[in-house]
Amino acid sequence: MTQILIKNGIVFDPINGINGEVMDIAIKNGKIVESTEIDESKAMIIDARGKVVMAGGIDIHSHIAGPKVNVGRLLRPEDHYLTNKPHVLPHRRAETGLTVPNVFRFGYEYARMGYTFVVEPATPPIKTRHTHEELNAIPIIDKAAFVLVDSNWIALDLISEASTELLAAYFAWLLSSTKTLALKLVDPGSDVAWLIKGKGIDLDDQIPGYDLTPRDIIREIGNASQLLRLPHKMHVHCNRLGYPGNYLTTLKTMDIVREIKRVDDGPALHITHVQFTGYKGDSWTTLRSGGEDIAEAMSRNPYVSLDLGQVIPGRPATTMTADAPFEFVLYHLTRWKWASADTEVETAAGIVPYVYRKRNYVNTIQWVIGLEVALISRDPWRIIPTTDHPNAGPFTDYPKMFAWLLSKKAREDDMRDMSQLALKRSALPSINTEFTLYDLAVMTRAAPAKLLGLEKRKGHLGVGADADVAIYDIDPREVEISKNYKKLIQAFKRTWLVIKDGVIVVKEGEVVKTIYGRTYYAEPVIPSDLEKEVKRVLEKKFKEYYSITLDSFIINEEEIRNPVKIKISTQLTR
Amino acid sequence: MSAFQHPLGTNRFFVLNTGRTTMQAISMESETKWSTRYFNSVAILEMNPEDAKELGVKDRAKVTSDYGSVVLPVKISKRLPRGEIFIPMGPWANFLIGPDTDGTGMPTLKGIKVRVEATTEQPTTLEQLLKQLGAKGLEVYMEDLEVKPGEKKVVENVVCSFCGDLCDHLKIELDGNRIIRNVGGCAISVSKFLNYHRHRVLKPYIRKNGRLIPVDLEEALDKAADILVKAKYPLIFGLSSTCVEANEYAIELAEILNGVVDNTSVFCHGPTALAVQEVGAVRYTFAVAIHLADLVIFWGCNPAEAHPNHIARIVMRKGKYVKGRKERKVVVIDVRKTPTAELADLYIQLEPGRDLEFITALRMAIRDLEIEAPKVAGVPREKVLELAEMMKSARYGVIFFGLGVTMTGAKYRNIVGVIRLVQELNEWTKFGLLPMRGHFNVAGANEVSLWITCYPFATDYARKFSRMAIGVTSATDLLASGDVDALLVIASDPVAHFPRKAVENISKIPVIVVDAKWSLTTAFADVIIPAGFVGIECSGSAYRMDGVPLRMKKVVDPPSGVLCDVDILKKLIDKVKARMGLGR
Repeated sequence: MTQILIKNGIVFDPINGINGEVMDIAIKNGKIVESTEIDESKAMIIDARGKVVMAGGIDIHSHIAGPKVNVGRLLRPEDHYLTNKPHVLPHRRAETGLTVPNVFRFGYEYARMGYTFVVEPATPPIKTRHTHEELNAIPIIDKAAFVLVDSNWIALDLISEASTELLAAYFAWLLSSTKTLALKLVDPGSDVAWLIKGKGIDLDDQIPGYDLTPRDIIREIGNASQLLRLPHKMHVHCNRLGYPGNYLTTLKTMDIVREIKRVDDGPALHITHVQFTGYKGDSWTTLRSGGEDIAEAMSRNPYVSLDLGQVIPGRPATTMTADAPFEFVLYHLTRWKWASADTEVETAAGIVPYVYRKRNYVNTIQWVIGLEVALISRDPWRIIPTTDHPNAGPFTDYPKMFAWLLSKKAREDDMRDMSQLALKRSALPSINTEFTLYDLAVMTRAAPAKLLGLEKRKGHLGVGADADVAIYDIDPREVEISKNYKKLIQAFKRTWLVIKDGVIVVKEGEVVKTIYGRTYYAEPVIPSDLEKEVKRVLEKKFKEYYSITLDSFIINEEEIRNPVKIKISTQLTR
Repeated sequence: MSAFQHPLGTNRFFVLNTGRTTMQAISMESETKWSTRYFNSVAILEMNPEDAKELGVKDRAKVTSDYGSVVLPVKISKRLPRGEIFIPMGPWANFLIGPDTDGTGMPTLKGIKVRVEATTEQPTTLEQLLKQLGAKGLEVYMEDLEVKPGEKKVVENVVCSFCGDLCDHLKIELDGNRIIRNVGGCAISVSKFLNYHRHRVLKPYIRKNGRLIPVDLEEALDKAADILVKAKYPLIFGLSSTCVEANEYAIELAEILNGVVDNTSVFCHGPTALAVQEVGAVRYTFAVAIHLADLVIFWGCNPAEAHPNHIARIVMRKGKYVKGRKERKVVVIDVRKTPTAELADLYIQLEPGRDLEFITALRMAIRDLEIEAPKVAGVPREKVLELAEMMKSARYGVIFFGLGVTMTGAKYRNIVGVIRLVQELNEWTKFGLLPMRGHFNVAGANEVSLWITCYPFATDYARKFSRMAIGVTSATDLLASGDVDALLVIASDPVAHFPRKAVENISKIPVIVVDAKWSLTTAFADVIIPAGFVGIECSGSAYRMDGVPLRMKKVVDPPSGVLCDVDILKKLIDKVKARMGLGR
């Protein structure tokens, strides 16, 4: 196996407290090692003088695989026409598509930006085999998926009738059977209401057919995730997403952590793409940013983490979510194409194309919200920049988003083209905060690694970490990023060199080799009597509810390309 | 006046519809298309008794279209309205079909204008047809795989590899490598499993001087690689009766060759995909229909014959909110009274090719717009209003639709109309729409194509990236216009299903066939590579018609020396890459 020595790079490695030190990083057998372990005469030497070195980036929320994404591809041929990049065989397969690209573009574009780990944040259990088949086909990056649980009839039955232990045991079985990493809640309970009544519900509304509210579901799944000691406890897309005034629902949802019996320190709840649920005002014309309120709530509440869902103005998007009732509402605004999929007794999904316009009042407020949340709370360890690809913008625009976070000038330059009325009604123009490269390394490497519970091997450059490294051609000692943010965009759009598992995959911004990463999934260990009980329940419930056999539902490890099982010792076996 | 206004009397034109039947499928799955049984099930013309009497037709008739003419035995059937005839899908039907796809990739397989006359000529034999189509040879070397009794075992929860319903509750009983029982499968499934060992391709062949010569696998693969590398613009076709993994390799091969890859959905639900590209889709999985659907509509499809377990699994099954058949209304919309129609609470008989008019009327009725015509597509206005009211007042309505909608009249415009209808119905209640997919993994072929190329089928790599130009890069059009210079067929039989002109062009180019049984396309093949059956001898993934992916099981080993599609394609890719200097 190749030995690589990256010499004299400017290293940003927050997990190890390294902030812009000039140092060497040594790689052997796909891992970071002490420099002394390298035989310099045999090693490949990379001169990183005047360049920034970080661990590979980690995206905690990006729709890169599964049934929704594939329907998106089908629905949007116009998305693909002008985006083609021919293959260069045998190194690189053909790429196509912008908001819903093919599998190769996903892997290659993430790699070109220095990202080496991406999470697909919503997979319907019965179609997760599909999600894995696409993940298997995405080159270079490591992957994981979160499984949808909030409108699952079996989960709701167990919440209504059984103990938290049995619910936890079901989730343990579900994670392990679908080979997924964490639990996902989308507009909790709403897909039950959507299937039965064709509408969504708010946090304290009753779920049709059950004596439960979304609040009960979040709390009980929260309790179960604590019992399982899942590294990423629960990933929540709040109720009322997309409606003016929904920031109140978000604040109430954040407060539910106080009702959860916490056994672990870290965040008990992750609010995802908070921008979409940060709307103040009671109509589209009175819409305001709820960014300040959410940032304040974050500072009061240490048990919540979030990601932004930052809007990229001037870009098309393909909105896709398990929030099927909201997509139906959005379809009434756009009146173009609408795809919807009611999925077994588990969930549903909707897909609607959309365009974010710079001068549009609502779209400008949306842009403001994400940035306000990040810049006011100033807590890079708990606030992850994402675009909820492809909902608020394509992931390929991340460097633009980084520029807004690191440079007031970048924000001001773009504000010129946006709705001045919206800006006048927002705090953003007066915010001076500018994050540093160190903060960026926290937000895109260290923090997501910790939130996923992978900080031992991912998100840092300490000895023992996986050799996933990005080297950016920008020298912060010479370039004042705050003033010259375009350099930052350029450097982060096309990484100078990317190493994945010790293999050079990107050189000077271009993919030079197609390899395949790993897929991570959780296997919480539960006591055997509880396991037997849950199997008994499942055999009965599957016959009653599902159109496939229990046997067909389970995804085997052989179906995953390079699986990595994360065994979790739970509270239940203590 | 439409060409389908009353056909008899003045011009004596008939409307020909083609489609699946249970016997067509059973005979094909059990004894191949070369058998007498297949001839007896497929070389047949069904017509109304009064039409037959008027024409003086007794036991056979000659059917002539603009494209060809065949003589067929006649079956008199009251199911058919006057002026319509039916021929099961297969080479006889396709001999009468034109190559024009109207830019949709889909030839017109239903609603074709033909003349019918009484005749004393002998029915057209398969050999006569194939000769006329330019077959390279007519010899087939069918072999039965030797099955030995041995260990008795039962494999549970086997996934059936026949239709898009992917029944996953089959119990397969084995005695050695002989399959002795299939419990839970329909008649077609039983026939496929119990006869898996019969009429097999067990050796690779190369055609030399017009004759098929058995060779070893390496030689066959070398010859195949030579053909593909030498071609300027090869077509890879089939792929709906094999697994997801084989589809991935097939597309990679097309990409390496800068060729074109298409799957059989191009002439089944291709138009459905085109309509989704335009307006979207409102879908559901089976359990949603089981638990919630109080109205089930079958439109232009005949599950009682083509998807025999479908009705039992969905319509009859007791759900959480709807307790089985007694709480569901079943509506069948079709041009002929199929066995499915006999199960319906309401049967609506449409005039062939006029679905779009009917759809438009339904959309108007749902919006309370006045329908002035007393009849729409042959259906009385009152019936249109009745159906519209049933749809609006359903708690959760579902439509299963088939090729009767995708292939006729306005083709993909029909589907755009139905999707819009269902989208509009969601303003009133919950409603969904699902295509009845034929081959067991045709849905998977579309899915794989989408994630690799962003297009569902008919993907071209001539410019080293994926493009789909329907009507240009679709298989029927490429073959009918003679645009491709080599053909690799995987688990499919284009000769049995393509229009005459496309098949004639297949006879002019080198052809490689990868299949488990002797298809009619083997008569046009220059290389034949035997393959294992996915779902019996090979495992792999497949997608049910509602997008639910399932793992196909392997219940017996493939015959000795025979590889699965995946391994054949992997080897072929290696050989092609080596010839092109691309290494591994």
